[in-house]
Amino acid sequence: MVEFTVPEVDYTRYTNRQLAAVPLAVLAVALLVVAGWYVATGAPVNQGIEFTGGTEIQVVVGDGANPEEQIRQAFSAEPESIQSVPAEGSLYIVTFQSGDDSGPSVGANELEQQAESAGFEVRSISSVSASFGGDTQTLALIGVGIAFLGMSLLVFAMFRSFVPSIAVVISAFSDIVIPVALMNVLGIELSLGTVAALLMLIGYSVDSDILLNNHILRRSGDFYESTYRAMRTGVTMTLTSIAAMIVMTVTATLFGIQLLAAIGTVLVFGLAADLMNTYLLNLSLLRWYKFEGVNR
Amino acid sequence: MVSLRDNWRVILLVVLLLVSTFALFSPTLADGAGGGVAPGNATADGPTNLKFGLELSGGTRIRAPLVGLTAEEVQFGDDQPRVVEQNVAENIDGATSADVIARQSANASTVEVTAENVTQQEFRTALERADYEFETIRDGVTEQTRTEVVDILRDKINQAGLSGGSVQQVTTATGQHFIRIEVPDRDTSEVQQLVSERGSVVVEAYYPVEQNGSRTYQSDVVLERDDFQRIGTAQDTPSGPAVPVTVKAAVAEEFQQAMVDTGVARPGGSRCDYERNPNSTESCLLVVVDGQVVNSFGMSPGLAQSMRNGEWAEDPGFQLQTRNISEAQQVAINLRAGALPAKLDFSGDDGGTTSYISPSQGANFKTDSLITGLVAVLAVSGVVFIRYNEVKVAAPMIVTALSEVVILLGFAAGIGYPLDLSVIAGFIAVIGTGVDDLIIIADEVMAEGEVSSRRVFQSRFRKAFWVIGAAAATTIIAMSPLAVLSLGDLQGFAIFTILGVLVGVLVTRPAYGDILRTLTTTDR
Repeated sequence: MVEFTVPEVDYTRYTNRQLAAVPLAVLAVALLVVAGWYVATGAPVNQGIEFTGGTEIQVVVGDGANPEEQIRQAFSAEPESIQSVPAEGSLYIVTFQSGDDSGPSVGANELEQQAESAGFEVRSISSVSASFGGDTQTLALIGVGIAFLGMSLLVFAMFRSFVPSIAVVISAFSDIVIPVALMNVLGIELSLGTVAALLMLIGYSVDSDILLNNHILRRSGDFYESTYRAMRTGVTMTLTSIAAMIVMTVTATLFGIQLLAAIGTVLVFGLAADLMNTYLLNLSLLRWYKFEGVNR
Repeated sequence: MVSLRDNWRVILLVVLLLVSTFALFSPTLADGAGGGVAPGNATADGPTNLKFGLELSGGTRIRAPLVGLTAEEVQFGDDQPRVVEQNVAENIDGATSADVIARQSANASTVEVTAENVTQQEFRTALERADYEFETIRDGVTEQTRTEVVDILRDKINQAGLSGGSVQQVTTATGQHFIRIEVPDRDTSEVQQLVSERGSVVVEAYYPVEQNGSRTYQSDVVLERDDFQRIGTAQDTPSGPAVPVTVKAAVAEEFQQAMVDTGVARPGGSRCDYERNPNSTESCLLVVVDGQVVNSFGMSPGLAQSMRNGEWAEDPGFQLQTRNISEAQQVAINLRAGALPAKLDFSGDDGGTTSYISPSQGANFKTDSLITGLVAVLAVSGVVFIRYNEVKVAAPMIVTALSEVVILLGFAAGIGYPLDLSVIAGFIAVIGTGVDDLIIIADEVMAEGEVSSRRVFQSRFRKAFWVIGAAAATTIIAMSPLAVLSLGDLQGFAIFTILGVLVGVLVTRPAYGDILRTLTTTDR
């Protein structure tokens, strides 16, 4: 049977500065990407129709060559994107953004009629008006903000000392910013599903940080030994979650269940970022606190 | 029974699992469980009592605001609300008194305009011209109006036989009010047609009058919704599709007199030619829906005769004729449910959202998401088995994590909460955090070699629990904004993640500790 054991890292070979440099550099790059996106497009992330308003229609295109061209011909508005669903060869997800310069917005009913008259089978339609989308956006931002703030307060209340608490909070922050930057780079839009995933990340990523802090600060024993024990548990946890999420993302993408696929993708990014942040950034801050910070 | 008291956590878990299984499969709970608190539409089908939401069963969801403006703190003076409505309506172009609602209560008086395309400025001017003082004018309608709309829409959907449909008022965190309508198995246009019209039905008499030697036509409302005693079902009669109605005794005499006076009930009956020659027809009865004449008809000689000699009022029934059966159904529904005080706003940027999922798509999603969930569980199991390489530790872990999902499913079936994709995502999140916690327990308990004594076990377990509790608290805090804010689809996700974490921390994860103790310790 295959067996995996978490390797023991010899942290003594690296200084705190070296350890923290990598995750901080990645965080800086991620922040740059997000900031750059904001400057270039006016929004820190690409927003899906749930936030900008628009219509998504899923149609089954019958036989015939070049289904994408057929779809373009069928609708009077220019689709923003056409995506096929791999598990069902002829099912396509077509989205239309409203309120941009690409032409007048066409109502959901009209699109339904156009699809039907082109001979497509309409599987689902959903449309969101622009102002409704704008509200959702504000709400989502407020939601993420409150969640993050609440988490931070709770962490400070649990550890009651500044450095270990701020280490957790910075890691969690980076766990959210890195996936957001990756979403921009890979062209994944912010949807309700990805917002849910970002919130889940707050919960998930804090787990391994709390575990590490707990082992190092509250247990007797050598720093490196505690670290190794926390790592063995924490890395197993995160790897299990990553495995589950990769599999879920792949299956959901094959089936065209976008909500689950979006959640899975963002969680994979975030959990991978969490591995790095916990065992490089959080750890280096804790070591500094334990060996130098306390003595001050 | 020492072991019973020691293993109470496991026993609690087993009891909860049994209760959940009962809630899931018992046929006695199949109908109306939980008293209909379900926020979405709910259709139970299949071998379980689970209800599936729109995404998994197919259907239409519409979420839209209401058209309207409200003036607050209006001084009515000595005028009755009805008079206020008329005075205000007169000063607004294209509005009738049916488009103005004046409400007076002990602490507040409001006037609402529910006609389309009225600007705040126009409303302001109208109130000033009618000489009513007011504090402010805002977009939107009052709470009472929204409640009335919800009740009437609910009635309409039931009358139309759209089973499982639901109508609700939702408020976003920014204070906007929407009406949410969900109807399973129907497509958008069908539902929109039903709910988009105000649906005010009146019967008018249309008759010629001589004025200064020239002949003009006049129409008067002779019957309104409140005047009917009984409204029958739409049916095909020998004279065409019609809705049989009975007029209330109190207004029957008056209606009879009006028929005679306007010449509808003339000797030998009247023949109506309103559609082709509205300027030369004999007197007619018009069925008017939302200001549009949907049908016109005359009166048979027999009925006219009984009206003329006053017999009709003793048995005041007649038939409202329509052009086709679907129109007759529409008229019957509108008469029974009543007219909406305000229209749903589907137009423009404030139009809210609509979504439609075809039943076949819903069925696909149901199986596909089940497969996705199972595959995720398999992946978790695989990693756990590889990591621990010991069935004693890993198998109970998987069983415990799955039992959390069973309990949640039982809970959903018990209260009739409809399952949606987002709820399923919540289940997957619960399995994820659950397994994380079980790994923490297992590692902690088995650290530093074999656990031989129960006391060592207890102290290690307690240490592990601190981390789990802390992690659970952060997850709950992170999810609570979503559970409270009306972010549409994500509410179910957040609620079930929080519930799952609670069930996990309070019941299943401690029970796993007990199971692990029984399996690993030797002194009993």
